[in-house]
Amino acid sequence: MLRIVVGIKWVPNTTSVNIDPKTGTLIREGIPSVVNPHDLEAVEMALRLRDEYGGRVTAITMSPPSARAGLEHVLGMGVDDAVLVSDRAFAGADTLATSYVLAKVIERLGYDLIVFGQETIDSSTAHVGAQVASWLDIPYVYYVTHARLEGGRLIVRRSLENVRETYELELPALISVAMHTLHPRRVRLSHKLRAKLESPIETWTNRELGLEPDCIGLKGSPTALSKIEMIPKVPRKNEIFRGDPREAAKWLVDKLIEEGLLEV
Amino acid sequence: MKEVGYKFDVIVVGAGPAGSAAAYTLAKKGFKVLLVERGRVPGSKNVFGGRVYADPVGEVFDGLDGAPIHRWVTRERISLVSGGEMSSFEFRGSKRTSFTTYLTELAGWMARKVEEAGGVVLTEITVDGLVVEGGRVTGIRVGDERLTSDVVIDAEGINRLLLERAGLVPKLSVRHTGLGVKEVIKLQRDRLEDLFGLEGDEGMAWLMLGDVTDGLPGGAFLYTNRDSVSLGLVIALGDAVKEVGRHVSRYVEALRLHPLLRRYLRDGRIMEYSAHLVPEYTWPDLPHLLYTDGLLVAGDAAGLLLNLGYNFRGVDFAAYSGYLAARAVERAHEMGGMTSENLAIYRDLLEESFVLRQLRKFRRAPRMRENRRLYGAYPGLVNAIMDQLFNSPYETPKVMEALRRAREGRIGWLEMVRDLLEMVRSV
Amino acid sequence: MMKPMRVDDILNNNVWDVDYEPHIRVDSSKCRECDEKPCLLLCPAQCYTLAGEEVLFSYEGCVECGTCRLVCPNDAVTWNYPVSGRGIHFRFS
Ligand SMILES: Cc1cc2nc3c(=O)[nH]c(=O)nc-3n(C[C@H](O)[C@H](O)[C@H](O)COP(=O)(O)OP(=O)(O)OC[C@H]3O[C@@H](n4cnc5c(N)ncnc54)[C@H](O)[C@@H]3O)c2cc1C
Ligand SMILES: Cc1cc2nc3c(=O)[nH]c(=O)nc-3n(C[C@H](O)[C@H](O)[C@H](O)COP(=O)(O)OP(=O)(O)OC[C@H]3O[C@@H](n4cnc5c(N)ncnc54)[C@H](O)[C@@H]3O)c2cc1C
Ligand code: SF4
Ligand code: SF4
Repeated sequence: MLRIVVGIKWVPNTTSVNIDPKTGTLIREGIPSVVNPHDLEAVEMALRLRDEYGGRVTAITMSPPSARAGLEHVLGMGVDDAVLVSDRAFAGADTLATSYVLAKVIERLGYDLIVFGQETIDSSTAHVGAQVASWLDIPYVYYVTHARLEGGRLIVRRSLENVRETYELELPALISVAMHTLHPRRVRLSHKLRAKLESPIETWTNRELGLEPDCIGLKGSPTALSKIEMIPKVPRKNEIFRGDPREAAKWLVDKLIEEGLLEV
Repeated sequence: MKEVGYKFDVIVVGAGPAGSAAAYTLAKKGFKVLLVERGRVPGSKNVFGGRVYADPVGEVFDGLDGAPIHRWVTRERISLVSGGEMSSFEFRGSKRTSFTTYLTELAGWMARKVEEAGGVVLTEITVDGLVVEGGRVTGIRVGDERLTSDVVIDAEGINRLLLERAGLVPKLSVRHTGLGVKEVIKLQRDRLEDLFGLEGDEGMAWLMLGDVTDGLPGGAFLYTNRDSVSLGLVIALGDAVKEVGRHVSRYVEALRLHPLLRRYLRDGRIMEYSAHLVPEYTWPDLPHLLYTDGLLVAGDAAGLLLNLGYNFRGVDFAAYSGYLAARAVERAHEMGGMTSENLAIYRDLLEESFVLRQLRKFRRAPRMRENRRLYGAYPGLVNAIMDQLFNSPYETPKVMEALRRAREGRIGWLEMVRDLLEMVRSV
Repeated sequence: MMKPMRVDDILNNNVWDVDYEPHIRVDSSKCRECDEKPCLLLCPAQCYTLAGEEVLFSYEGCVECGTCRLVCPNDAVTWNYPVSGRGIHFRFS
């Protein structure tokens, strides 16, 4: 029986964040949060493994309490239970402090396999998976597209630009799923009902975890952000060519040369 | 199909005003209620114009504590627009009868009330069909799963796909439907209050008739919210299909850029762009399905909306019809079951309430709104009269004289008298 | 605000969680035979556009109003709401 833990992050739906034309800053007002889309693919991979080999999938997120809705979403997809790791003491964490807490949570839960997304859409450092694996001192493969179990070992595949690599991992291990490889399944009525009626979500604070204050939150975060620069929006010319595709191609090439973007 | 292993007394489809009102009322009475909503959160799929009548909603939800009230409408402005001219009539009162809000927020508040009352609110679930067995609705279908209940309350809104799929109503027709398109435009709060002459939490409802819809039956609206305005219009889809002259978004844009409106909106920023359908013909002009064995229908899905052209009453009508549907369930439960006979009490309750009384009273309004002269000739006429009365310093006409001159080439006396009579009878 | 804006730029202020499969399907063979093409002007999100002779449909910006379902005279539109909470997410309407 596989004990699988999936990490999901509750992030602002940044696919829709717009820039205020006057101030040039991000408009964050009313931007709803979603489960990091790439983490839904991690959930999908975990569920496929469970459905194939049996076991149990637990979703964890370190987040403010509003992330409950995200946990309900993945429970709706079929995840068995979930832990919301939420405490003011964890606030202000960089990736190191985040991964430390997550590692401790996972340790406490018990695990054979940990599945993470490739990266998040709001910070996209892709640090957390590697860091958690280091804390737990277990093998880690990033960019995984396929996974199956064979004789108690996990066979994973990853596709790089021109090679396809296959690894055999001793469990326990951690994998990060390459983005855009799986379509996360839809929520189901029965799963959603269970999520609502049988409270499969536990909330853990640092009271349960008892982690050193020096290793968590702002204090446990050595990373210092020195500067953020906004990349100015390139004004679009919105030129449209209508007509014959051959002509259009020629027109486009001429334009690109004119703009100095192509050289002949 | 797999039967889901939970059982509810009542399943309500749609967490709009109608569905939440029904679920809240029943949960309060101790029924096991499931409210199913397709949106990620209740409210995330809801769109309306901007104004809600407070009392009916407060009656249904036991007060409005914590409700997202933006502004109380104390200014009503109706304008007739033709070209760059506009004649307005404005009423300024102090009664707090209706308020402006975002329906997205109000529906969220309503669904929270349902949860507080003990109802289960299930989001992110799109119901695919009603389960009908032996002519009786016995539950809902989602994907390959079904869930059973004693009764289903259908509050799915105007598109009523479930009713159509179950063969209970014909396909919605463009002739009976209006299309509403709107922009919500952010303004600085104090700036907004200055521009519209509002104090504190006062608000304005502004309706515009005339060539803002390119002569198509319909009208434009502007509602002031806390720190934004809702600007949009509704056009009759039956006519628009044949005559629409430009992309519908351009109608709203023309409003935003209109010489008479743009000064209000100059410093604004568009926060959201939305569209939604609205019933143009409602009960009793068209027979709508209200109930059958195991099923009640409330709100827009049942066409229970008062559309006067100058005023929409959808939210309070929907909420109240949901409330009455819940009371019908309660009564049918006492009478021994959710049969069509027992549920027929729903209709009686609607007849006794303001909902059907008002709809009956204004039953001629939809036909009146078909009169094209309301959108072309009359706004032009009124503006021409005003122009003559105030812009002819040497030859100021008497009122009747101005009317005669303005009328020429626009409209015949007889037509005018007929229209006037029809108007008096309709609204 | 004082200048005309493209529909796309207006729509850009909205929030969607776009599904990986379209919730609406359009039978383009019927569009070829369609004279009026009311969907082009009446879909508020301009999901229907003309590319040469072809009507192109893209579901991503759909605001789920239901207009195209009603105005299409040829039953070319198989219309559904998105599932799993996806699609448009209104906040200020
Ligand atoms: C200096 C600094 C200060 C910061 N301060 C704050 C702050 O005050 N408040 C704040 O909210 N953030 C803060 N952050 C951001 C925060 O550290 C990161 O968001 C977080 O560590 C995850 O990093 P990431 O988003 O790049 O994840 P990635 O490394 O890109 O994520 C990879 C995978 O790890 C898993 N994962 C990532 N995060 C979580 C999580 N929280 N729970 C479960 N699984 C997860 C997911 O499966 C994800 O796909 C700060 C970051 C820095 C560098
Ligand atoms: C442009 C415009 C302006 C308006 N202006 C006003 C106004 O100023 N004042 C006023 O009072 N009224 C106004 N109305 C009318 C008002 O919006 C409606 O009458 C009212 O919202 C109807 O409520 P309802 O609960 O019946 O439907 P809706 O509010 O449409 O709610 C239906 C709910 O059901 C959900 N749903 C639908 N199908 C399914 C499914 N298959 N599975 C799960 N969930 C589903 C939807 O997501 C939605 O949340 C306006 C309408 C429009 C279009
Ligand atoms: S109206 Fe219908 S058939 Fe005609 S172009 Fe549009 S979708 Fe195609
Ligand atoms: S439902 Fe409305 S927004 Fe979506 S494609 Fe049809 S007309 Fe356009």
